[in-house]
Amino acid sequence: MASPVASKEFVDTTDASQEKPVEHEPVQAGRARDRNEAQGAPDRPLIWISTEFGAIYEAHAQSIYYLALRLLGDPTQAEDATHDVFLKAYRKMNQFRGDSAVRTWLYRIAINHCRNLLQTWHHRHMVTNADDAIWETSSVATDNPLRVLETKELGQRIQKTLEALPEEYRLLLLLVADEKLSYQDVAALTGQTADAVRGKLHRARKAFAAAFAKFA
Amino acid sequence: MKPDPSKLRQQTREHEEHALHQAQQKQTALEFAAAEEMIRHDAAHTPVPPQIAERLNESLAREPKPAVSWWRRLFSRGQ
Repeated sequence: MASPVASKEFVDTTDASQEKPVEHEPVQAGRARDRNEAQGAPDRPLIWISTEFGAIYEAHAQSIYYLALRLLGDPTQAEDATHDVFLKAYRKMNQFRGDSAVRTWLYRIAINHCRNLLQTWHHRHMVTNADDAIWETSSVATDNPLRVLETKELGQRIQKTLEALPEEYRLLLLLVADEKLSYQDVAALTGQTADAVRGKLHRARKAFAAAFAKFA
Repeated sequence: MKPDPSKLRQQTREHEEHALHQAQQKQTALEFAAAEEMIRHDAAHTPVPPQIAERLNESLAREPKPAVSWWRRLFSRGQ
């Protein structure tokens, strides 16, 4: 039987401006420890994995990590972000009231968290300023299938392509790719109507196809 | 006339190297109808680093237990 919590709903009360910062070890120290642990057995057993929160982590960690990875473009930052998102979720579990699904709630925390990170000086100087018009006037046909030869390079190419897109399109494509989210969920997460999501999705697909062809 | 064994070995090695090169060039072609289909495939092949669970383990050990909401206390009393 599924965990009772996993099937119930949380209210999203996460506000990026009001969130308590996640206090964890300095990044470098944490990474050094991670390397040590990767070489041997963990220091203590993962007792929480068998709890309700553990069930939530097991069910949604992959999606949250992938979203963070593709939004931030860096595996180490995505790792830190996923950790922080679940820690925030753990702290806010008592705010469980039932206006949105757990998955949507976690996505919202993750999107806010990644946006905060992307607003830092470092990221402001790394993000590309892609112009929507470049992609929308592209001659690349969107009805052609997207082909890729090197499986191992697929992730890198998707990353480059997403980075070349406006943030709105990037987020939209990543959310729509999750089959467990409805258009209504995506609309709620992106602050627009489901019809607007459908309309923008068409343009986002076109932009993706054009950028993907460019990075061949 | 007997063939030169060293020349034969050289030819065999060249043949093997050529076959290996061809095998390396033989790639799996993937085709996706839409961007989200490709992203979905990529997501399915992107594992979560196990270090995240390890780090969460340490972080949660330092956290106070989350407060139980009023409705959950109410339901647990009824059971």
